Amino acid sequence: MKIGVFICHCGSNIAATVDVLKVVESAKSMPEVVYAVNSMYTCSEPGQQAIEEAIKERGLTGVVVASCTPRMHEPTFRRTVERAGLNRYMFEMANIREHVSWVGKDKAANTAKAVDLVRMAVEKLRLDKVLIPKFIPATRKVLVIGGGVAGIQAALDCAEGGMDVVMVESEPSIGGKMSKLDKTFPTVDCSSCVLGPRMVDVAQNERIELHAYSEIASISGYVGNFDVTIRKKATYVDWDKCTGCGLCTEKCPSKKSYDRFNEGMGETTAINIPFPQAIPKKATITAASCRLLSGGKCGVCAKICTSQAVDYTQKDREITVKVGAVVAATGYDLMDWTVYGEYGAGRYPDVITSLQYERLLSASGPTGGHIRRPSDGREPKEVVFIQCVGSRDPSVGRPYCSGFCCMYTAKQAILTKDHIPDSRSYVFYMDIRSPGKGYDEFTRRAQEEYKAQYIRGRVSTVYPKGDKLVVKGVDTLVGEQVELEADLVVLAVGGEASQNAPKLAEKLRISYDGYGFFMEGHPKLKPVETNTAGVYLAGSCQGLKDIPSSVAQGSAAAAKVLGLLSKDKLESDPQTAGVDVKRCVGCRKCINVCPFGAIREVDMRGQIKAEVIEAVCQGCGLCTATCPQGAVQLSHFTDNQVLAEVEALCQS
Amino acid sequence: MAIHEQLKKIILDTLPGVECVIGWGPGQDALHGSPVFMRKPEDVDSFMDTPLGAFGAVNNLALFLPELSGKKVGVVVKGCDSRSIVQLVAEKLIKREEVVIIGFPCEGAADLTKIEKALPEGREAGEVTGAAIVGETLKLSLGSEEISLGLADIKADKCTRCKTPGAVISDAFAGIAGKAPEVRDEYADLAALEAMSLDERFKFWEREMSRCIRCYACRNACPLCVCRDHCVAGSRSPHWITQTDSTRDKLMFQIIHATHLAGRCTGCGECQRACPAGIPVLLLKRTFNRGVAEIFGYDAGMDTEATPPLLTFQVEEAHIKEREWQ
Ligand SMILES: Cc1cc2nc3c(=O)[nH]c(=O)nc-3n(C[C@H](O)[C@H](O)[C@H](O)COP(=O)(O)OP(=O)(O)OC[C@H]3O[C@@H](n4cnc5c(N)ncnc54)[C@H](O)[C@@H]3O)c2cc1C
Ligand code: SF4
Ligand code: SF4
Ligand code: SF4
Ligand code: SF4
Repeated sequence: MKIGVFICHCGSNIAATVDVLKVVESAKSMPEVVYAVNSMYTCSEPGQQAIEEAIKERGLTGVVVASCTPRMHEPTFRRTVERAGLNRYMFEMANIREHVSWVGKDKAANTAKAVDLVRMAVEKLRLDKVLIPKFIPATRKVLVIGGGVAGIQAALDCAEGGMDVVMVESEPSIGGKMSKLDKTFPTVDCSSCVLGPRMVDVAQNERIELHAYSEIASISGYVGNFDVTIRKKATYVDWDKCTGCGLCTEKCPSKKSYDRFNEGMGETTAINIPFPQAIPKKATITAASCRLLSGGKCGVCAKICTSQAVDYTQKDREITVKVGAVVAATGYDLMDWTVYGEYGAGRYPDVITSLQYERLLSASGPTGGHIRRPSDGREPKEVVFIQCVGSRDPSVGRPYCSGFCCMYTAKQAILTKDHIPDSRSYVFYMDIRSPGKGYDEFTRRAQEEYKAQYIRGRVSTVYPKGDKLVVKGVDTLVGEQVELEADLVVLAVGGEASQNAPKLAEKLRISYDGYGFFMEGHPKLKPVETNTAGVYLAGSCQGLKDIPSSVAQGSAAAAKVLGLLSKDKLESDPQTAGVDVKRCVGCRKCINVCPFGAIREVDMRGQIKAEVIEAVCQGCGLCTATCPQGAVQLSHFTDNQVLAEVEALCQS
Repeated sequence: MAIHEQLKKIILDTLPGVECVIGWGPGQDALHGSPVFMRKPEDVDSFMDTPLGAFGAVNNLALFLPELSGKKVGVVVKGCDSRSIVQLVAEKLIKREEVVIIGFPCEGAADLTKIEKALPEGREAGEVTGAAIVGETLKLSLGSEEISLGLADIKADKCTRCKTPGAVISDAFAGIAGKAPEVRDEYADLAALEAMSLDERFKFWEREMSRCIRCYACRNACPLCVCRDHCVAGSRSPHWITQTDSTRDKLMFQIIHATHLAGRCTGCGECQRACPAGIPVLLLKRTFNRGVAEIFGYDAGMDTEATPPLLTFQVEEAHIKEREWQ
């Protein structure tokens, strides 16, 4: 083997704390290294050209680049060596930036560590083998999970690009949180006027197959070939027959069902269509509230329905679909604010959440768009908004900023004045965070034009006094205690990942952070990709964001899907596991640990052996770590390769 | 009827339905026994026909089961041996329906190393000409010399912490299983080791392992080491250890053995018993066993339906709270 080693300065990123030339000198004496050189920016065009030229002129058969993290540039350099005629797996990278120069200041120690890492890379490279990818057919269909504004955008853009779409929404209607909003910042245009037509587009688009009131039961397979099982929850109404006329909802005698769509601000019937613009506009029975389904006698809805759509015997159903890519757009939920005892922990009816307030503001809401206090139906005159409830508060495990609350609180203060001109709004805030086009101007308008009184400080307690609520807080700008008597208190409750996000992430085999938000592939360069090929993210499931950003991500995810599935065959990664049948004793340990079900048992002349299904294997390496006799090996990361690296490290 | 007579009767009843019944029989001298494979009724005569009787039933006969899989066999087990079978079944390395398990109320087994140590200076086990258990003592004759040893002093360490003297599972049982003793394994044997500094501990292992002759008796005696001819100890690809006579390579092998047994080892102690160099290799395994019990709440060989914690994949372990943020 003829190995070439290229040590990168990364400008001064590496060179400032690593003696690059010394590393070059050491590399020259490593086994099979015939060429070693430094490079200012190896990833730049001249840097890559130098590699290509060295391969051609010196007949290199393997290349080591010592520079930054392989997560970033391994693909870059693999392409470089490939252009010069080498197999892309005859390349190794040593990370002497993130692992060395950025984490240590001692130049001598750093240099020694960089030499070690280069030696490890050389030793591994010496055992590298040429690997050839295979091509696998892909299904040109995408699954969009979650029908909020982000999912809707992704679905419509994919369909527009000629892709078949399957959308799965857990609620009876798509629309997500945006469908519950009254008006939206910063334009204060009507939410349903903007979103409604897009929801109709989803229903009418022939390429989009919508499964509302459904969830992902399981998902298996791999990029290009996912097998998805969708559980369609029983609605007790045959949606093929239901016309959405709503007669049943008028006649249902059980009128005290929790109104999910209205965030509990009203009550609804057991059989119900969540809101007038619902897509699909179909009735669903909440079994727990239904007199008949909870064991009693009724059957009114079945009698009244002119299309005989009601079916009390309906059961959950499972269907399977095959898709080539997945977009997760499951949005967010509000955190459980009742952990705040100081705000009454949910005991005072007139302390409500921002989302509940949206329902009170909305013309399609339980009060017909008239703001009325939940306790006595009276119109409030003094409204206090408390921001950062469950945001930026490490004491409740929520250190992050929810991002949109400053803006929607300003919006709600403006709308309050619009609805009740003689009302006064007070906003307790920590900081006003309003970066964005026209956003700061918007919060200023709330204060200057709409006379909302902003008080910088936290609220220490809220308690009832007569039919009012006393809000005690501090104004940190003036340095004084403040005490207000409010008719209504609106909490700007922070968001968190939607309730089942971690479970879904596990089904999708994507990572999630400590709050349940899905992890993007790279915070800057892969914002809508995940580390699982073929799975993309859109909207606030990745981190809280407002509607414009959610929509932008929906489009971005669609662009990624369209790009991925623009070819009908996908290259498979050859870094998969394989079983040496001579060594395998058929103990099945690998089969039990493989998280992807990629290993099966085969009978080989009466003996049990394991066999890897290459297309399913994700190269995670769990099987190799488990197999005691090392019969299953992961290409490009064989035991011998890893041992060679360890050996190189231990010998220095 | 004495337990071993009852066992013989069960074995005779079992024989017609199985390939063979594995039990204990006489060995090279009065103290040592050895496994017997009984195929015909007359083979049963030699069963436990030894001076030490059940107290000399030291071998863990579960060792032979994986290799005999595919055939139906009977096996006589002490409580600890039955745990090996349970673990083998849990790992689907043998089929439950292929073994007829014959249990008995075990009162402990001998530790021959302890007996040898108790012999007068310069005398060896092979010189023992006669042995008999009388009450709670073992009477030995070495030619004209007579010595007697208290059974409690020569019992295997594992017996003192045993919570399963009757078989965990069995198809036939001789006598009546006593109540499970109330013992808690405090891992007292590990305390001395752990009191040492890292450096001292490493020196300890270097000293111990320097005596290793790489015979792999420890591995070959382990009922759960089913790789047998395919063990990494003798393979070039993967090349985990070299064939050089270095203490580190020998220690490396012990670490590999312990790691491969993590969450599987039932602590039967056969590895250490088999070692001709008297190396305390069980300490390594017991360190892992304690860790597995603490982290995963798992005790190997107690439940055929249990999933060994390291032989499965869970995104979130029930006992490891990685994401607790509430
Ligand atoms: C009170 C309030 C006011 C706001 N006002 C504004 C505003 O004026 N302007 C603005 O730009 N932003 C505003 N926002 C923010 C806005 O709500 C979000 O930016 C937007 O809803 C994010 O869209 P999304 O599609 O990512 O998520 P969501 O709207 O949460 O949609 C996610 C969808 O996925 C579904 N889902 C969840 N889990 C699953 C699952 N496992 N399987 C299937 N489906 C699932 C949900 O049911 C939901 O339909 C406001 C937020 C709040 C709380
Ligand atoms: S590397 Fe092994 S455990 Fe991982 S996916 Fe492939 S076969 Fe399964
Ligand atoms: S460990 Fe228990 S079962 Fe095993 S020999 Fe000792 S007492 Fe008997
Ligand atoms: S490692 Fe030793 S103690 Fe553990 S099961 Fe094997 S032989 Fe028994
Ligand atoms: S039985 Fe003892 S001597 Fe033989 S390989 Fe094991 S530790 Fe070494």
